Amino acid sequence: MASGRCSGAGTSVTSIDFERVSFTYPDSDAPVLEDVTLSIAEGSFVLVTGDTGAGKSTFIRAINGLVPHFTGGEFSGCVTLRGDSIRNTLECAPRDLADLVAFVPQDPSAAFVVDRVEDEIAYSLENLGVEQTVMRRRVEETLDALNIAGLRDRSVRTLSGGERQRVAIAAALAPGPRVLLLDEPTSQLDPQGAEDVLAALQRLVHDLGITVVLAEHRLERVAGFVDLAVGLRLGEPVSIGDPAYVLESLSSGPPVARLGRLVGWSPPPLTVRDARRMAPALTLARPPAAEPVAGTSVLKAVGLSAGYGRQLVLRDIDLTLAEGDIVALMGRNGAGKSTLLRCLTGVHTPETGTVELRGEPPIAAHNVALCPQRPESVLFAETVAGEVEATLKAAGSRASPDATLEALGITELRDSHPRDLSAGQRLLVAIASIVATDAPVLLLDEPTRGLDYESKMRLVRFLRSWARCGRAVMVATHDVELAAQVATRVVMIATGEVIALGKPGDVLGDSPVFAPQMARLFGPGWLTPEQVAAAVTA
Amino acid sequence: MHQGAWLLWALGGGLVAISTTNPFYLLPLLGVAWVVHAARGRPGPQARSFRIFLIFGALTICTRTALVLFLPDIQWGNIVEAAMEGLRLAVLLTVFGAFNTVSDPFGVLRLSPRRWHEPALAASLALSIAPRTIAAVSTVREAQRLRGIDVRRWRGLVALAVPVLETGMEEAVILAESMDARGHGRGRRTRYRPERWGRDATLVSLASVFAVLVAGASSFGDDPSLALSAWPIAWPEVSPVMLAAIVGLSIPAWLPAAAPARAPQ
Repeated sequence: MASGRCSGAGTSVTSIDFERVSFTYPDSDAPVLEDVTLSIAEGSFVLVTGDTGAGKSTFIRAINGLVPHFTGGEFSGCVTLRGDSIRNTLECAPRDLADLVAFVPQDPSAAFVVDRVEDEIAYSLENLGVEQTVMRRRVEETLDALNIAGLRDRSVRTLSGGERQRVAIAAALAPGPRVLLLDEPTSQLDPQGAEDVLAALQRLVHDLGITVVLAEHRLERVAGFVDLAVGLRLGEPVSIGDPAYVLESLSSGPPVARLGRLVGWSPPPLTVRDARRMAPALTLARPPAAEPVAGTSVLKAVGLSAGYGRQLVLRDIDLTLAEGDIVALMGRNGAGKSTLLRCLTGVHTPETGTVELRGEPPIAAHNVALCPQRPESVLFAETVAGEVEATLKAAGSRASPDATLEALGITELRDSHPRDLSAGQRLLVAIASIVATDAPVLLLDEPTRGLDYESKMRLVRFLRSWARCGRAVMVATHDVELAAQVATRVVMIATGEVIALGKPGDVLGDSPVFAPQMARLFGPGWLTPEQVAAAVTA
Repeated sequence: MHQGAWLLWALGGGLVAISTTNPFYLLPLLGVAWVVHAARGRPGPQARSFRIFLIFGALTICTRTALVLFLPDIQWGNIVEAAMEGLRLAVLLTVFGAFNTVSDPFGVLRLSPRRWHEPALAASLALSIAPRTIAAVSTVREAQRLRGIDVRRWRGLVALAVPVLETGMEEAVILAESMDARGHGRGRRTRYRPERWGRDATLVSLASVFAVLVAGASSFGDDPSLALSAWPIAWPEVSPVMLAAIVGLSIPAWLPAAAPARAPQ
């Protein structure tokens, strides 16, 4: 397909133009994008937002031609990159646009081609035929721009989540593209890591005039950085413009925007900074005291130390979970959260210390259940009901799966194929298949990756009802707003040690990194917009 | 160290392994592969794949020996002969396994001439499939175990295979997309920073070339010590030169590694 118009080096993209773009995936009847016409000017920092399945990834991939070149399907209309050359994605394949448009997929670890960090960054430069001397300089500059010079000799397989994301961005940036596309770049990062990556992107926009287009669910993280938003909703026309305007028309939004909607601020603020100007108008009663959890203890871990080989990851951890508890386990990437969860389930044997569940050792599926980071890694059956039945059968039970499906509110998906569902629905199915044996302790590892607001609320409702029936829940998460919303207690770990443990208001409230937006606005103790709206007195 | 030196090392070790069925040569070579892997193996999933090569090696010995048990009027000589041939293959696999953990597949790829880039890239990606699949298998196995499904049972196999294959397919598509979006296949290519041939590379190459020469000379000279005499079974002779060549192949383990790659958790 590459014609003469695609060859040669481009040096600028002054605008990205969608003209009447419609696209339908090969196995689907309904179009994902329908008659989209819009234009993105050079140097914009663009947020693409919308619910799961609304076409965020599709929109981003259409810009460099991955859609339709890689997906197939029915594509009509035209995406044009205008600059010193004019190229459209129908004539030019993604590789022909590689000098102008760079792309960072959601899971960068699967996208690494080469093993060593430095070589990975040079890979695009080699493909584009950049001179060796220029290449050396570009690689060094890029290493510095993303502050990863210390990682240059490392294998990409041994990097932490935040490091991986930065290396992936560096690899994309090395050839000096004019447009950078990112699919949920912060979904695997802790709050500080996300902040760093977004700040680095903003610097690129400001200093080099690069156009950055990113899809993201965690609006509280990105809303303050972007200057243009594209709102996608299935079956409705796409909206583009000022982020405040676009987000107002969507039901979701960062917590400050939800608060704005609850108390009638118009337009709702997008960032804590915006909200601060409006907040003094509210008179609030005292923050509600968190209800104490009075259940009996279900899980008790004493003096837990664990590691891999000679390296100790957890040091002397004491922890109890009581009936009705929902504990948020927080800490930066690599702090030892996943290892702690693995110890509590008994799959990882600690060096010292004990884990007891009502006096018994942990037995997977019997008294403790864990939902893994990727729900897909447990799904294998043909139907949702079959998935739950498989767990019950393995436990020697003949019970019907319907009760579990109802508890999660997914009865209507009973006969669907798990792979056909959205990310949020898949998570609920994975949870259903894990809790079917009714273990008294449920652990979840990073459940809100890639979940839209609606799916997150369903998860929150489920966790609350599950804990209320005398069970204990622990969620390892980077999502501070989730922790603020659902947790009865927060455990913060750093370098394998518990550094804080207590009510969410106390632990998260005054942390500069982990504080939820409401605490930033109204002080420690305030957690959710609903709480604040209920306490407005005048 | 230069990837070419590793390639020579693997070639030397492999040729020595193929040339002999003498356990007094093969077992030291096995030890050499082990220490080199232990001293120079890169962290990450590759490290685990060495174990898989060892397991396959053990399986090879068992199958090769088991096959002769079906022979009519079987004698001890048959069994010993078969076991030594199995051992030869097992050591060859171990040497390759060690090479796999110490070398960087993409670095090896860089050594290929430019016009061979495409097939070499396909080969290096194929090499990276093994560690990726091993990682996926252990993730899925653990997740299913936590759900109470034992994937070692025949019925649990579907519960392991489906998620592993689907993850593999998804990752393959992501990789292909990423390569295309990064300009793979545009024709004109340059090469980043050719690796330098240092003193270590020279030492390792010398040891490897020495091993190749000794193994070659012994084979063409019909050195009796190369084959274990099984009729009747007798202790084989040992040539000190050959033994020296084998021990020489352990030289990478004694050289200080230039840039220690740290494995974080």
